[in-house]
Amino acid sequence: MQQARRAGDHTNMVFHFLLHGHIMHTTSWFLFFPGEKLCSAEDCVLGTGVYLRHGYIHSSLAGYVVRKSEGKELPMISVVRGTELQLLPDVGAIVTCKVTSINPRFAKVHILKVGSTSLKDHFKGTIRKEDVRATEKDKVEIYKSFRPGDIVLAKVMSLGNVESSYLLTTAENELGVVVAHSESGAVMVPISWSEMQCPLTYAKELRKVARVQAKHLEA
Amino acid sequence: MMAAVEVSEAEKVYILHGIRDDLRVDGRGCEDYRHMEIETDVVSNTDGSAKVTLGHTVVLVGIKTEIGKPRPMVPNEGYLEFFVDCSANATPEFEGRGGEELGTELSNTLYRVFNNKHSIDLKRLCISPGEHCWVLYVDVLLLQCDGNLYDAMSIAIKAALFNTKIPKVFISSDDEGGKDIELSDDPYDCMRLNVENVPCIVTLCKVGHRHIVDATLQEKACSVASLIMSVTHKGTVTCTRKVGGGSLDPESIFEMTEAGKRVGKALHAPLMKLLEQEESLGKKQQKVGFFG
Amino acid sequence: MPTDTKRVRGPDVSQSPSLFVCQPADGVSPQGPRADGRRRDQVDVRPVFVRCGLVSQAKGSAYIEAGNTKLMCCVYGPRETERKDETDMKCGRLTTDMRFAPFSCPERGSWIQGSQEKDFSTMLQESLQPAVCLHKYPRSQIEVNMMVLENSGSVLAHAITCASLALADAGIEMYDLVLGCSLRQNGASYVADPTSAEENDRGPDQSRNQGSLTVAFLPSLNQISGLQSDGEMSEDTLTAGVRTCIEGCYKLYPLVQQVLSRCVSRAACAPPPR
Repeated sequence: MQQARRAGDHTNMVFHFLLHGHIMHTTSWFLFFPGEKLCSAEDCVLGTGVYLRHGYIHSSLAGYVVRKSEGKELPMISVVRGTELQLLPDVGAIVTCKVTSINPRFAKVHILKVGSTSLKDHFKGTIRKEDVRATEKDKVEIYKSFRPGDIVLAKVMSLGNVESSYLLTTAENELGVVVAHSESGAVMVPISWSEMQCPLTYAKELRKVARVQAKHLEA
Repeated sequence: MMAAVEVSEAEKVYILHGIRDDLRVDGRGCEDYRHMEIETDVVSNTDGSAKVTLGHTVVLVGIKTEIGKPRPMVPNEGYLEFFVDCSANATPEFEGRGGEELGTELSNTLYRVFNNKHSIDLKRLCISPGEHCWVLYVDVLLLQCDGNLYDAMSIAIKAALFNTKIPKVFISSDDEGGKDIELSDDPYDCMRLNVENVPCIVTLCKVGHRHIVDATLQEKACSVASLIMSVTHKGTVTCTRKVGGGSLDPESIFEMTEAGKRVGKALHAPLMKLLEQEESLGKKQQKVGFFG
Repeated sequence: MPTDTKRVRGPDVSQSPSLFVCQPADGVSPQGPRADGRRRDQVDVRPVFVRCGLVSQAKGSAYIEAGNTKLMCCVYGPRETERKDETDMKCGRLTTDMRFAPFSCPERGSWIQGSQEKDFSTMLQESLQPAVCLHKYPRSQIEVNMMVLENSGSVLAHAITCASLALADAGIEMYDLVLGCSLRQNGASYVADPTSAEENDRGPDQSRNQGSLTVAFLPSLNQISGLQSDGEMSEDTLTAGVRTCIEGCYKLYPLVQQVLSRCVSRAACAPPPR
């Protein structure tokens, strides 16, 4: 099953490159180990899984080398492993999280996914009251925006400091609650940017609803 | 891990460039120690004690002797027990269990430093093989912490061991073959330890392309890795250990061991001279005491 | 002596029968061949068996066997740090936990981590940390758990190699692999990768050159990330010993690469041939 899905991903990738003929993509068969020299820093741009030392690019992972070149620019060199990428929430990343608790000042969440990659271990995040939406920040009330158990799309604002966890924001139209359950337990349907409705009881509940973009949807 | 100081990038560059030219912030050369003060016999309840002040680092060592059972593997030897306490006096970070990690690390290193046949003649600590031996409890207390704990600690231990007076005991056996331990009545009748072979630790910090001895906290913050070496008066190395988060290339390790041996060897003669001088003064010596 | 109240303890005072075995009067002769047929004064390390990715629950894992020394290592993370301080915000934290199984040594050990195990953990941590790109893992910690199943000498050296393989298997970004090698100096001669009998062999009493040395080495960057020795050695012996250990590490490198490549090509979906 797993294997089949991977193979599927791969055909998609190939298809993608066929469509955009000008993108060249070469993967070498050779394995590289952490510390091995790949090439001079003048020949390539650093991608992922590599590091720069004394003017040379070295591998920092055990994996295959991927060279990606677009147009006349220098190719980008990366080392990839076939298995899922090692991702951590970074500033600017779109993350999927689950609300664990709310109070009048902020909502606490667990970060479940970064982009489309699931995290193996959950990281804690905080959405403060002033980061819920972009306008009328002073009128925001947390309990009218999130409830525990909601699945929220958010963006990482900062890695926070010693005391706090990751600071997240939903102050964009595309960000906010994507899945919420009503009091009767049914998955609610968004009816406006600030309201969701239960399909069973037709009761309306307030949320900071995200306008889900097609590109964020996964089949 | 240790009382960290904040060093800005500009300060770092200043310290680095200085060390490159063999000029340190406090005017020392790369292989010079700070001003050091040693005083022995400072705590009356111990069998041997010493206080060492190195710059602003203050270490107090107290040695207590007790009679114990020899280890089964070595029935004809006594043994030493080390314990390092990083008190919250030195820095608030050591409060509660904060200093525990560093304390274990320091005491584990001390066990390694003394893990050889010649540092201390353990056979002399044996009272009756397999039954009784002397156990020396070496307790180290960090009172102030301004870098280079290892060196200050090892010098204080050597001084305290020199100062240690172990009471003379006799074994008498009664008619039924049972053995009794008798303590000598004369308090001045005691055994002294030969500390000639006790090593001293030299910590070499790699800063930039050079290495320095006796780094202050600021200098330590600029260093990626250091090498700890314990060296005897003959230049024998009894323990080495790389500490810190960085790595060192083999050539600089060789340079550092060479320098460490040189510096460590030179440390012993003046130290012994000073200790003997202080000993000969006896009670006439004016005690400086703490923070005097 | 800390005790664990949750486990059935043995009698208060008990001793291993091995203590009552008569010790051979002169120990192993320093000139003759080694008990396992390897040569003295040569970088003659034991053949090593290594495998990666054995523990499915862990992010990465490795198992190493050299002679009778058997070690297992699991890597978890990066996950959120429990204990936080200012430095964790910029770069991650590498935690190591090395434990000896109670039956791993000739004498039974305790389940509670003793100070020797803590010492080993610190040395393992110091040897690995220079190789891990911790700045890529802010706010998080990477956990290395090492279990010594059987101790037959050179435990720290093999633990270092094993842990670096487990880290590589976990896909943690590293500047280089870390390899470890040990050596036991006995008078004028030395043995590389000593067994526990050789490690404890104190030899003739008068010898001033007697000690153990363990080096952790980054082969591609030519850097020493860990160095620790005890006993008594002259500075020249120490320097020569470090060189020997580096040579011993290079002997291990091809095998470690081979194991890692097998592990990566199995885990990854290999790219199609062009």
